[in-house]
Amino acid sequence: MSAAREVFVVGAAVHPFGKHRDKAADELGYLAVSELIATTGVDPARVDVGFGGSVYGGSLLTQRVLQRVGISGQPVFTIENACASGASAVHLAWQSVASGAAECAVAFGTENLSSLGGGTLPLTTADIEIDQGMVMPAAYAMRAQRYLHDWGATVDDLTAISVKNRGNGADNPRAHFQKAVTTTDVEESRPIADPLRLMHCCPNSDGAAAILLCTAEVADQLVGPRVRVAASVVRSGKFSTGYRDMTWPDITERTSQAAYAQSGYSPDDLDVVELHDAFAIAELLHAEALGIAERGKAHTELRAGAFDRGGRIPVSPSGGLLSRGHPVGATGVAQICETYWQLTDQAGALQVPGAQIGLTHVTGGGIFGVDNGACSVHILSTR
Amino acid sequence: MTNYVIDGTRVVLKVSRCRSCEAAWFPAREQCSNCASRDVAQEVTSSRGTTYASSVVRVGPRQFEAPYTLAYVDVDGVRVLAHAASDEALPPGTPVELVLAPIGSDANGPLMSYAVTPIGGAR
Repeated sequence: MSAAREVFVVGAAVHPFGKHRDKAADELGYLAVSELIATTGVDPARVDVGFGGSVYGGSLLTQRVLQRVGISGQPVFTIENACASGASAVHLAWQSVASGAAECAVAFGTENLSSLGGGTLPLTTADIEIDQGMVMPAAYAMRAQRYLHDWGATVDDLTAISVKNRGNGADNPRAHFQKAVTTTDVEESRPIADPLRLMHCCPNSDGAAAILLCTAEVADQLVGPRVRVAASVVRSGKFSTGYRDMTWPDITERTSQAAYAQSGYSPDDLDVVELHDAFAIAELLHAEALGIAERGKAHTELRAGAFDRGGRIPVSPSGGLLSRGHPVGATGVAQICETYWQLTDQAGALQVPGAQIGLTHVTGGGIFGVDNGACSVHILSTR
Repeated sequence: MTNYVIDGTRVVLKVSRCRSCEAAWFPAREQCSNCASRDVAQEVTSSRGTTYASSVVRVGPRQFEAPYTLAYVDVDGVRVLAHAASDEALPPGTPVELVLAPIGSDANGPLMSYAVTPIGGAR
């Protein structure tokens, strides 16, 4: 769709990711939204519509969160779209404001995975691959094996991604893991699905994130700095049970190409990227599909330091999913929060100097026949 | 209803091939999931395929008794995920044969399924 009017992010809040066994998803969501209301100074009555993203948060989650901060009576919706749930909530909030249906919208994502116990995440039932023993680490492990086979990357490259992103997250007070790791730490972590080891995988986390979206007129009345939403896109997976190239996530390509078209920007315009590194291999696959590295060359860019915080195109300076953690429905919103802080010079030790344009990318959903069930890309700009 | 047929000592898969757009589907279906045509041929595959990718899963659901090896295998136009009879990940390109095998067990006993075994023994 073409946007009827410009939409701005005017505030962001994250409840730090980690293990919060004593806080259910609605409590975590409340803590993030409460902070958002406080920092933006928005009158809850000015919020026209609310969207909450979560996979395991349950029925009427969004009511249970927003009614605690005086957003009650307005239309609100709970959105489930696997790992893209939170970013899908943001997209719908953006649509509401862009279309003229709303002046001001709140979007949040929240998740408590501790309540599910340990191990790999439970996936959809009655799926022919899950019936065969598919788990998310195995899906990425097979993509990794094939990428290494086709493009000459090595397990050392995957390890270097974990070391980079864990190093970035060491500086992020909102990250699940705030400690740098060494190559040896990664190499000696326990095997999960060959060739992936534990430190090649993101942790199951609990956490929440929230943003406020509004028109320029509403932004003028609020205290926080603003950034423009230059693109907001959601796409679903293209279903096929035939042969396909699993080293090329076409859902990421289609979603990001739509975002570039909507924004008028190209990959070369980006100053910072937060992408969906649920597993280390994902950084290589998505960097290429997002167009910030050439096909088959992401590992050489990585080796050259291009994705470092001070590199050509910093990737996941917040620590990414590998370090920040992955409270599934909250991840996409947290990426937008981190990028908002980057573009408003509030990222502290994570700051990419002078960042003006940032892209966030989240994709997920383990169902057979698609790369992923849902993918979302947002581009934010100070211009 | 199973997704496969035991043909003597071989296992073959039940697939659907669209007569309008030629898309191939596994599991089989009455309507093409690409073009929505209901003009779909019900076929079975051969019992041989080629490995696309593979991994040894070392942490997984209890009923599959990790470690176990999974492989994506290309069989007559469809890509199928299956257990592989191997202690190591099968290299891409490894030829495989479809077999019937227990892939795990639950309270009702062994879980029988199509699975693959590499052809030609040692690599």
